Amino acid sequence: MLATLLEFLREKHRTTPMWLKVLIPVLGVGSLGVVAVMGAFLAFVVTAWLGQPIPVLGFDQSVEQPIAFPHTIHAGMGVYTNSTGDQIQGLGMDCTFCHRTVTSQANAGVPPVQFCAYCHQVIGGEESEPLTQVRTAAGIIGDSPHPIDWKRVHRMPDHVRFVHEPHIRYLTQNPDKVTNSTSGETIGAAGVCSTCHGDVASMEEVAQVEPLKMGQCVNCHRENEAPTDCASCHH
Amino acid sequence: MTLQREKRKYSWGMVVDVDKCTGCQACVLACQAENNVPLNLQDRFERARVMSWIRVERYWEGEFPDIKARFIPIMCQHCENAPCEPVCPVFATYHNNEGLNVQVYNRCVGTRYCANGCPYIVRFFNYWEPVWPEAFRNHLNPDVTVRSRGIMEKCSFCIQRIRRGVRNAERENRDVVDGEIQTACTQACPTDALVFGNFMDEDSKVSKMKKDDRHYTLLPHLETDPNVVYLAKIDTDKSAGESHG
Repeated sequence: MLATLLEFLREKHRTTPMWLKVLIPVLGVGSLGVVAVMGAFLAFVVTAWLGQPIPVLGFDQSVEQPIAFPHTIHAGMGVYTNSTGDQIQGLGMDCTFCHRTVTSQANAGVPPVQFCAYCHQVIGGEESEPLTQVRTAAGIIGDSPHPIDWKRVHRMPDHVRFVHEPHIRYLTQNPDKVTNSTSGETIGAAGVCSTCHGDVASMEEVAQVEPLKMGQCVNCHRENEAPTDCASCHH
Repeated sequence: MTLQREKRKYSWGMVVDVDKCTGCQACVLACQAENNVPLNLQDRFERARVMSWIRVERYWEGEFPDIKARFIPIMCQHCENAPCEPVCPVFATYHNNEGLNVQVYNRCVGTRYCANGCPYIVRFFNYWEPVWPEAFRNHLNPDVTVRSRGIMEKCSFCIQRIRRGVRNAERENRDVVDGEIQTACTQACPTDALVFGNFMDEDSKVSKMKKDDRHYTLLPHLETDPNVVYLAKIDTDKSAGESHG
């Protein structure tokens, strides 16, 4: 039996031309490579479809802001290194201190640059690069005040009308529904933002951590007996 | 149907007193501004593709000089038995539990069956991507979706205002007060010919007006059961029975 097989293989070895002997392994390795590339692509598409895409090739959901604003130092409670290399104790500021309209309106609101200047015309070293940019924008340095073109990180599609106010109200009244614990303040409105925005207080550069797709919205609405009428969000 | 209606908290509806309507078109303009309806320029009229969620229809009665102009504002009637709803293959239009006929823009695939089914001709199809002049760049209402090309749209009873009113009431732990929620057209109407309110509330202004002897609905033989009720014109020249419209 074995002898017959060996004889068959020897015969094959003699009769197969050289170019075919080279081509077969090349094709084998090549097709494996194609399978690997397609698999990676499929994995990327499936993850993007179900939730967030794999964070490669610029799909890592974080946005580079015009000024390197550290949420860590402002909202966090730990000790952080600032832009000039000093050790700074986190302030643990409430999210609503700057995002003032979040408890009353649809948008959380980004504060005007003058709002930053209330503190930063005094607070913070003069050699700090981001603070110099803030003071320039506020008109403290130079005389060309201009708004800062912050880049939006969490953006809903145009056919979705998301209103912050009822969500903050509900989660403030039902703290057991809050997910994604935060390392910053855990009382009042600031403690509930992490449910959708993740632990922003620990993010040097804010990235979107939840997929925030309709499935996630509807699941949460079902669990909390919130309206699932289409017209609640789409109008 | 009746059982379902009794469970509701709100049943939004409108009463249009045709006798008070002067045909000033303020409602048309207000609606256009509130709901991001594209501008109707000349080419839209030429192609008979005018988009106007509410329109004031004008009828002439009699011969000059003994002639009368009759006006009747017509918007989506928000029918309880809406002919547009069962024909939609993707459920982009449906009836919600507040008596509203809802159009879900992101579901719509643009078959236009609903517009063909609607006997009131109040559904409008976006044949083109809406464009506004540069001066109008920041005038769009952020609470309303800008509809893109290829989808159907119609009067929503200013659902963004309803949502805001209900939300404010919920925040203050109370029911919506009658008259608190106004649609753009009722707010703009100088003679209060258009009144918006909650039919489930027996004491609301619309419920009282609906009991008026002059009340009628458009095309009642179709049994669409509209949530928009009209009050007939009072004509001093004629006997009361003949004065519809």
